[in-house]
Amino acid sequence: MVPITYNVRSLLVRKISTIASLVGIALVVVVSSCSSMLSNGIARTLKTSGRADTAIIMRMGSDAEMASGIDVSRISTVVSNPNFVAQDKSGNSLGVGEIVVVKTADRAGTTGGVSVSNVSIRGVPANVWDVRDDVKIVRGRKPQPGTDEVAIGKALPGRFQGVEFGANFELKKNRVAQVVGVFDAGGSAFESEIWADVDTVRQAFGRQGVVSSVRVRLLSPSKFEAFKTFVESDKTLGLMAQREDSYYEKQTEGMAGMVKAIGWVFAFLFSLGAMIGAAITMYAQVANRSKEVGTLRALGFSRFAILLSFLVESVMMCFAGGVLGVLLALPLGLVEFPMMNMATWAEVVFRFEPSAGTIIGALVFATVMGIVGGFFPAWRASKLSPVEAMRT
Amino acid sequence: MTILTLAARNLTRNKTRVVLTVLGVGVAVLAFMLIRVVVWAWSMGGEVAAKDRIGTRDKITFVNRLPLRYAQDLKDAAAPLGVTHVTYMDWFGGKDPRNDSLFFGAFAVDHATFLDVYNELSISPEARERWKSDPQAALVGKNLAKKLQVKEGDKITLISPIYPGDWEFHVAAVYRSTAKSFDESSFIFRWDYLNNNKALPASQKDRIGWLAAKLTDPGRSAEISKAIDKAFDDRDQQTLSMSERDLNTSFVGMVAAVLQILNIASFVILLILGLILGNTIAMGVRERTYEHGVLRALGFMPRHITMFVVAEALFIGALGGAFGLALAYALVGAIGPRVVEDFGAMFPFFEITPPSALVGFGLALLAGLISSLIPSYRASRLEVVNALRRIG
Repeated sequence: MVPITYNVRSLLVRKISTIASLVGIALVVVVSSCSSMLSNGIARTLKTSGRADTAIIMRMGSDAEMASGIDVSRISTVVSNPNFVAQDKSGNSLGVGEIVVVKTADRAGTTGGVSVSNVSIRGVPANVWDVRDDVKIVRGRKPQPGTDEVAIGKALPGRFQGVEFGANFELKKNRVAQVVGVFDAGGSAFESEIWADVDTVRQAFGRQGVVSSVRVRLLSPSKFEAFKTFVESDKTLGLMAQREDSYYEKQTEGMAGMVKAIGWVFAFLFSLGAMIGAAITMYAQVANRSKEVGTLRALGFSRFAILLSFLVESVMMCFAGGVLGVLLALPLGLVEFPMMNMATWAEVVFRFEPSAGTIIGALVFATVMGIVGGFFPAWRASKLSPVEAMRT
Repeated sequence: MTILTLAARNLTRNKTRVVLTVLGVGVAVLAFMLIRVVVWAWSMGGEVAAKDRIGTRDKITFVNRLPLRYAQDLKDAAAPLGVTHVTYMDWFGGKDPRNDSLFFGAFAVDHATFLDVYNELSISPEARERWKSDPQAALVGKNLAKKLQVKEGDKITLISPIYPGDWEFHVAAVYRSTAKSFDESSFIFRWDYLNNNKALPASQKDRIGWLAAKLTDPGRSAEISKAIDKAFDDRDQQTLSMSERDLNTSFVGMVAAVLQILNIASFVILLILGLILGNTIAMGVRERTYEHGVLRALGFMPRHITMFVVAEALFIGALGGAFGLALAYALVGAIGPRVVEDFGAMFPFFEITPPSALVGFGLALLAGLISSLIPSYRASRLEVVNALRRIG
């Protein structure tokens, strides 16, 4: 095999051309990494919102909490069944009936409906902090039950008029909600929600006598199937039960899939450009070094060794581009990306989430581009006749 | 031999490289054009919307429905200002039980007034009669009818995540739309059929999703919207009115983050474009250092050398730009009609506009010009003696 230092030195001799191709590859890798990181982020945000040991009950046929409505009178049998539902220390069932609505809100820095979006409001009963024990107040305090105080998810501050710690906003005309706390929900979609008292939401949004959904903590995840049968057996109730994690997973599929698809279309188109760039550079290397190739052949290196040598060179160049691309893409992990959740019409903040798969995928992608872009130039080099090559 | 023919001849000496560069530039221009098409189509949502229609909905959340009597009240309040027709409708969220992944808009509308306000819908006089006389009549858009596999006179059953049960409809007409402001993919049926359903809870009776009003003078839409909202300001439910155009524009605002990403992506393409071209030009100049020395020795001026290099870069840029445009026209021409058919509400258009084609071509030329600046400057500054001494 031709020594690798030969390739390294050759690359360094033609710095500008090498760097141009390398940067081209890096840009493609940035694009593909970003789409991978964003779809990771979406999947994680929505997945961590759901737990396997929690069941969500909605009206039969509803695909999102917001579209569902259940009469309050129908929930008590479901929530307080000790055969399935876990209880806290004092014997209260760990179940909540909640109301979910979305509200129009002016984006921060604008007023009067110039730039509006939707924000989710969840009406929660007092024991929600026990049922969702992984949600923690990180600033201020929990809202007082029975008042118009609210807590907001930590992805919200800075995004909407009045939805700030210590500030206030109108739930409806002449009904002002006071933000007294900010909560952390482990990066889940809850962090893009406002949590208010269930009765406040009920009155302000005209939802008398109904809840949107019921969530219960099961005694164990394995109880789910039996619980589902129990809930759905009574057809007059018209209810259905889903595992909370699979409910959120279903919402993810569409969005993460779309981001991935768009990302790969661009990455594919861009990679064609970058591979062509790499091929141009490698062809130039081959043409300029035909004398060297002839010498190598004369020294006894096989055609295959020549082919391999140029391929290695191309892969090295592109791999370096891949590393550069990953390094450029990773800092995006700090960027927040608000996107509309198609299932609820409310904005959810996602993050670009790097994973081992992102990095490995990017480097493999760069390597493949190196092989494809370098193959034909390497092939040409291996076909050079030593005598002809040395004569030029 | 003129200078230009000499520059053109230079192109033929490394055909592989020129062909690859043209391919690379072409692919980059193609990607750029695709992004422009998507961004343009998206932002056109606001442009194609009817100027002479105002939509009115609940002020705080689109989830809340309005009382039926608001329709008459709105008419009373706005008629003196030049509102000719008022209609109301509701979101049904219909799904085809045979294929529940098919997404389409299904609306319950007031059959007496709907076609006056949305007069771009065209149906035959006989269909109009059926629509008036049969409570279960439905109007199905041309594209949707194809997907649901129904024709005039057929029966079809839909389910809804909001309204439980099976809903049977009679297809009174397959409608076409004479303007882009209404798509041909919606399912429209009579609101009274929904409202008179016995299973509907009392709390949901006589409720409507939103109102639409038609104006004689589109220039007054802002003023009339304000007047409408003022008329409802003292009721328990306040309203938010805006022209259909503003509504669509605010929807585009919600996906602003996505548009931003697309714009960044088109910037990345330009970088890749510049890298590919710059690399090719720089390599060409480097290889021809000796020749440029000879030309200078023969009496050509530095500006002639500059001209060679720039002319060559512009020519390659132009070829690549033309190739990319040809690809883009072919691709968009092939998929455009299907996109409009399937996603008409989101993409009323999917085509390349002449100005954006000019921009795409111009950018290829510009990339050629910029990428040749440094190499041509260097080439023109060469000392003749050094150039002749140098070995490629």
